[in-house]
Amino acid sequence: MFDKLEQVKHLPISFGEIARYVIVPGDPNRVPIISELLDDVQHQGKNREFNAARGKYKGVDVSIVSTGIGCPSTAIAVEELIHIGAEVFIRIGTSGSVDGSAKKGDIFIATAAVRDDGTSKQYIPIEFPALADTEVVDSLIKASAALKVPTKVGVCQSKDSFFGEVEPERMPVAEYLDSKWKAWQKGSVGASEMEAATLFTLSSIFGAEAGGIFAVETSDKETIHKITKIVLESIYYMEKGVKSE
Amino acid sequence: MSKKDGVEEAIGGLLDAYDDDKEAVQYHVQLKKGDISDFVILPGDPGRVEFIAEHFDKAELVAENREYKTMTGEYKGRPVTVTSTGIGCPSTAIAIEELANVGASTFVRMGTSGAMQEYTRVGEKVIATGAVRYEGTSIQYMPIEFPAVASHDMVLALKDSAIKHNLDHHLGIVQSKDSFYGQHNPEKMPIADELRQKWEAWVKGGVLCSEMEAATIFVVGSYRKVRTGAVLLVAGDQARGESLTKEEYKAHMSDSVKMILDSSLDIEVEV
Repeated sequence: MFDKLEQVKHLPISFGEIARYVIVPGDPNRVPIISELLDDVQHQGKNREFNAARGKYKGVDVSIVSTGIGCPSTAIAVEELIHIGAEVFIRIGTSGSVDGSAKKGDIFIATAAVRDDGTSKQYIPIEFPALADTEVVDSLIKASAALKVPTKVGVCQSKDSFFGEVEPERMPVAEYLDSKWKAWQKGSVGASEMEAATLFTLSSIFGAEAGGIFAVETSDKETIHKITKIVLESIYYMEKGVKSE
Repeated sequence: MSKKDGVEEAIGGLLDAYDDDKEAVQYHVQLKKGDISDFVILPGDPGRVEFIAEHFDKAELVAENREYKTMTGEYKGRPVTVTSTGIGCPSTAIAIEELANVGASTFVRMGTSGAMQEYTRVGEKVIATGAVRYEGTSIQYMPIEFPAVASHDMVLALKDSAIKHNLDHHLGIVQSKDSFYGQHNPEKMPIADELRQKWEAWVKGGVLCSEMEAATIFVVGSYRKVRTGAVLLVAGDQARGESLTKEEYKAHMSDSVKMILDSSLDIEVEV
């Protein structure tokens, strides 16, 4: 894709300006909120929906880069981030609930994603599973337990149409959306969001590691901070190689 | 018994299974509640059931019908069962449904596979974290976009056990296919181009090995809310033309059994 050492086209940052661990929220406005929990924060600028910051947590170098809404812009961010040196991605986001196991206010850790997106199919055929990395999932679960924050763990759905989820009845493909949704409910899908399938698929095929943690039907600052704390602790565990118990 | 009575009995048995009647003898596996433990090892080959059960501390044959052979026993005080699934996802889905009806809550496939990467070598064990759904059964349960994913706690228990037994292993995605000869002789098939294109995509995508049952175990497992995992011995390597000798094969299969049995001790017994 890129020539070696070629500058990337969309991100506001380049080589030497990225940490190994990158927190990837969708919303560019969430980057400063997440960065409040880091030390030595450096705001690195913004281009389009890609807002970048970098700082430290317990001495570990951490980046935050927003992806924008949806898998198309997420794929661009992930490709360019890997190119400039990112290795581990943790998505922080908000989600809807699907089968009722995760309710409003719950925190959800994704082990895998339903590929109800268009982008990941332009990388690898649809039969391929969009999996979060085992070690990232394990670190998130362990960090939540250590912080005494209850979480739900399971499969999320990644869609392309936000209004197709919240107002399916007004869509020309209403019946199609409804029958699929019922299948996800019966199949134990816990949360619905818009970026994980492409983040997981691309990370897995390009040799990076990824995970995702979501606030279910809530997006207040307090909850985002609670999730950020879990993510930062999990990054600290991975960096220190703390073994799961 | 007249032919008509026989048919009615068969249909009655089928309906019992559909009703999830836990007391009923399940139509294909011929098992009822009490015959099996919560932890079930799933080889493909019925001829491998006895070999696996030899690693238990005690075991007895509880049922045998078609490709489904079941033995139940104990390992270090933990109840364990082994049931063969037959080759392929169609018969495997039947096994999981019926076993779950009569009390199984953890399923670990134990099988063989073909290497797909430079670094997956014969004799190594692959612990599947997920599977490519290149098969026809799981799409009759869940739309194709749904991920065939193993249970996180089972993957970790198997990984810990592999480390404990000092076994060469990988964690990652496996490919589940329906056509064995479509993999081994793709150029002979009318859809040769598709087979080759997809295979190349899986290889580029980092898929570790190819087998025939995991995808359906993971998808049906998600739907039935049971724990699933899989350990695949890399038994052949098409690219290098390598395979295991009979003795090596047996020793490696024995390692897989020990690895799975020890992982069962990490899984809480559900009555």
